[in-house]
Amino acid sequence: MAITRQEIEHIAVLARLDSTGGIFDRLAEDMQGIVGMVDKLQELHLDDISDVIDAERKNAFHEDVPVQTFTPDKLIAPNAPTFEAGGVSVPRVVE
Amino acid sequence: MELMKKTAAELSEMLTKKEVSAVELTQAALARTAETDEKVGAYITVAGQQAIEAAETIDNKRAAGEALSPLAGIPVAIKDNICTEGLLTTCASKMLYNFVPPYNATVIEKLSAHGAVITGKCNMDEFAMGSSCENSAMKVTHNPHGLNHVPGGSSGGSAAVVAAGEVPLSLGSDTGGSIRQPAAFCGVVGLKPTYGAVSRYGLIAFASSLDQIGPFARTVEDAALLMDAITGYDPQHDSTSVQTPFEGSLRAGLNANVKGLRIGLPKEYFGAGISDEVRSSVLAAAETYRSLGAEVFEISLPLVEYALPIYYILSSAEASSNLARFDGVKYGYRAEGCEELLDIYVKSRSQGFGQEVQRRIMLGTYVLSSGYYDAYYKKARAAQRKIRAEFAGAFEKCDVILTPVAPTTAYELGSRTADPLEMYAGDICTVSVNIAGLPALVQPCGFDGGKLPIGMQLIGPRFGEQTLMNAGLAFEQASGLRNLIAAL
Repeated sequence: MAITRQEIEHIAVLARLDSTGGIFDRLAEDMQGIVGMVDKLQELHLDDISDVIDAERKNAFHEDVPVQTFTPDKLIAPNAPTFEAGGVSVPRVVE
Repeated sequence: MELMKKTAAELSEMLTKKEVSAVELTQAALARTAETDEKVGAYITVAGQQAIEAAETIDNKRAAGEALSPLAGIPVAIKDNICTEGLLTTCASKMLYNFVPPYNATVIEKLSAHGAVITGKCNMDEFAMGSSCENSAMKVTHNPHGLNHVPGGSSGGSAAVVAAGEVPLSLGSDTGGSIRQPAAFCGVVGLKPTYGAVSRYGLIAFASSLDQIGPFARTVEDAALLMDAITGYDPQHDSTSVQTPFEGSLRAGLNANVKGLRIGLPKEYFGAGISDEVRSSVLAAAETYRSLGAEVFEISLPLVEYALPIYYILSSAEASSNLARFDGVKYGYRAEGCEELLDIYVKSRSQGFGQEVQRRIMLGTYVLSSGYYDAYYKKARAAQRKIRAEFAGAFEKCDVILTPVAPTTAYELGSRTADPLEMYAGDICTVSVNIAGLPALVQPCGFDGGKLPIGMQLIGPRFGEQTLMNAGLAFEQASGLRNLIAAL
């Protein structure tokens, strides 16, 4: 399955990546080759496998109990690019 | 330097006998780093002050007669994708250039409980995506055995720091070979544990169904010592680990007797594409095992032909989801001059992520997108079951599987950066282990004509770490290839 430039640009929109500029041209070119490589999987016939979930593997669950509480000033403020009034500030999203 | 030539087990004994203090040992490690790391470039962050303080605490406890772990006072370096409270954790990415975690990964908590002294954070390929450490946004790491060569990746810094004698132990992570291939390139021991044997709480996720934290060391015994400290279920925090049958007892259980051990050599791993030097060195190791009384015979694992497509589909799909959290809003890099929220996402991600990370996110988004999901992602998951079944069948005939780690020894810096597919092809011998969730041990088995190390890989069944360690120890004793420190 060859991938078109238009599809690659659409994927960039979904992935929240910039699809303009020279760097993206290189990325788009690389994508053609990488998709070609993973396409080898299509040679494999897997009709005998109906369930992709491996039932022998069990999840390791644990009780959903809070064990540690971070306050915004400890968790968020030191790492937030912008921090105001106890929260992260971003451009206005509501007019 | 003399202290830093010793293994962790030897240093542990010296500490117990009070022939050296933890502070003296930490100072020796930091001095070795000051002497060599400008050439090697293994560390992103050296945590000298914290390390000395941690060592002082251990010395005080020892002086007070407290019973201490064999790891107490031993310097350990950490890959920079493992969260360390109050210590910069960058994932070697511009995206996390200033990220200081507010919590410790479970493995860090466990190391602290054992009294290990954390010396700093090691360079890696950005977000663990790469095989040469050249995708780091922070710096170049050089192979201590040949400074013009790559250390391997993605845990290149963690391998190099041990090979250079800066520390006896380090932690890395392995999603498709990221512990094993750098261990082979740098001539050290590296263990990719069984999926679930070590908690991933606090490991910055790349591909959650494949990622696993594991140890680097210069001897099998030291790798067992570190593995004993980090393995096991973490009931408080996570659902990423389980109770293991060997919990804390790998080192005590070491036994170098391999008489009757059944070792399979999968013919597909020794074919075209594997360099003559690597092939003959691993086959010579097989002969060593035969001379020690092991049964060595050929097996077949034909699905390795499809391992790379399966791996790159599954790992990239998970990466595209895991890395969606990096949007420039809550932490890490934020692009400047953004007037709309969407601008923050797109510009921060495009400027903050390097080329390789963007390639993987793009591939992952593609294979999960409407119209392609069944043909790629779902099919790769089905193929994963086939690979698991193929290994399960092999382990009915043999106890361990012996293979090369990579097609070649360490290559020159810059020689493979132009073509991502050429870089991916180097993962052919390692990715199946992650796809099947198996443990694998890598250790040196020789040198090439340029005196660069060659590694071999022993693959075991799930939770077969003790068998791997025992087989590794037997080869180490027979070959004398242990505790290799690069002459720098």
